[in-house]
Amino acid sequence: MSDSHDSPEFIKYLVNLFRIVGVVLVVGTLVTWWIDVTFALPLAWAAVIGLSIALVKASFVVAIFMHYKWDKKLIMITWTMLITFFFFAGMMGLIMWADGDAPNLARIEMSAIWVVLASLLGLVLPASFTVLTVKMLSQPAPVEAAAPKARRAAKKKS
Amino acid sequence: MEIPYTVKPRPDTGLYNGKLGIWLFLASEVMLFGALFSSYVLLRVGAEPGTWSMGLMDIKVGAGNTMVLIASSMFIVLAWAELKQGNLAGYKKWKWATIACAVVFLCVKWSYEWPSKFKHYDVWLNSATVLHEKFEKGYHETASHSEDGDDEHGHGDAAGGDVEKYVEGIYTTRFFKESSEASKTAFKKAWDNGTLALSGHINAYEEARIDVRITGWKADAGVSEADADKALAKFSDADAAELRQNGGSLPEKTDYDSAKRAEYALGQAGFTVALSVVGYERVEAHPWVWRTKRVTEDIGGKPRVRSIELGLDHSHHHVITLDAGDIKRLSAYEPKHSTFFGIYYTITGLHAAHVFGGILIMLYNMLPIGLALWHKDREQYTNRIETFGLFWHFVDLVWIFLFPILYIL
Repeated sequence: MSDSHDSPEFIKYLVNLFRIVGVVLVVGTLVTWWIDVTFALPLAWAAVIGLSIALVKASFVVAIFMHYKWDKKLIMITWTMLITFFFFAGMMGLIMWADGDAPNLARIEMSAIWVVLASLLGLVLPASFTVLTVKMLSQPAPVEAAAPKARRAAKKKS
Repeated sequence: MEIPYTVKPRPDTGLYNGKLGIWLFLASEVMLFGALFSSYVLLRVGAEPGTWSMGLMDIKVGAGNTMVLIASSMFIVLAWAELKQGNLAGYKKWKWATIACAVVFLCVKWSYEWPSKFKHYDVWLNSATVLHEKFEKGYHETASHSEDGDDEHGHGDAAGGDVEKYVEGIYTTRFFKESSEASKTAFKKAWDNGTLALSGHINAYEEARIDVRITGWKADAGVSEADADKALAKFSDADAAELRQNGGSLPEKTDYDSAKRAEYALGQAGFTVALSVVGYERVEAHPWVWRTKRVTEDIGGKPRVRSIELGLDHSHHHVITLDAGDIKRLSAYEPKHSTFFGIYYTITGLHAAHVFGGILIMLYNMLPIGLALWHKDREQYTNRIETFGLFWHFVDLVWIFLFPILYIL
């Protein structure tokens, strides 16, 4: 974390954020539990829903708890994270593909296109979740906006 | 060459060295766990219906443990924020909370989740006839209960007193997770072929009492008579010299393991020993991780364990007695049980090892030897906690993905 983020106000802002993220993570877990208990989901849907929620939770942990949002973005770390996300998204696609009953359109024989579409859905759904979450999280912090001078000074220093 | 520790971000990387290092480490960890996750998913999608998770994953416990780990993840970052503000007392408070959460997580794994699996068994029987007969016996009470329209136990599937229907209801929801057509077909096939396993908890078993009989003593074995008598005296109060010359049984009838130990010790002293079963004793206990061999082990033509009383269902109330001769395979839910448990223990074990390592590091940081750094260089100590925090969040991340994969897939 760079110098501009060492001010006490910013730390206070962070602590608040940490608490909110903690609540979000707990809610995500409870939702997963609730869905599993309430609906008897086929494998493919369980994978998509379970892993999507996990991806959203994971992006919160990386962006806020690991405060990657405010860190200098190293290409290595960014790629590690992105590839991890796509890895899990790909796993969903794989499960849907193998299971084949994702958009079970009440037909016994499915043409190959549905399987491909299902896999794509498995990829696109979590990927868009991730992009949305990251976008949402990369809004500038209010404290930073309130103190543009300090920020400029910090920029000059580095 | 000494690499100086820099507390300030380096201009070229924008991070201080410690942080760069931990991110590299985490990147390699991603690959390690990534390989295991891929294996899990490939095995999962290739699994036959009814061979995955066996209904033994309790999502209540899983979700609880997830929240405990999330809490610890939040506490460590709050502890770091306190350090940033120079408040050591506040830091210690949150740090202990983090350690407590980690310990709770491991305790749930170590004393509840894993042991409960080690104490439950799947038993496959030799023939379909025996299997169906045992099922009838085990579930008869409940099935005939529902015949009178008494459905207070909520066993709706037992309507009409049809055991097969009742068992199907249990097995399709418990073992096949969802009651789809595929799972019904899989159940029917397993039921008709008799390949279905009875699963439950061994409430009691009959174990052999062994008679250890001395049949002779080899004078040319290189053991003196005095030494042989001394070895014998450990097992018998009787006149050792006479026992050695005329042979005879040791006074105490022991269990198989003690008998084997006696056989070995006496064999070393030049005795020839014969073991035989003199009777069976009913032991009321919940054995841990038995193998098939233990039940069918042959002692002079008789099995080591004659019969087991298996409590079916979660309640263990539908008790049936199985003879050793009928048992084809018996296995606790240990890694050897099936592919699912193999990968399950591998992944959760590796994750638990990370949690355990994290606890050790946190304790080190809290001891005077770790805290000395705080008094020497506050910023360096803060950075150390930050990098540890990154590792800890990663452990949390792995669990966030493990939770849906293990508990709802």
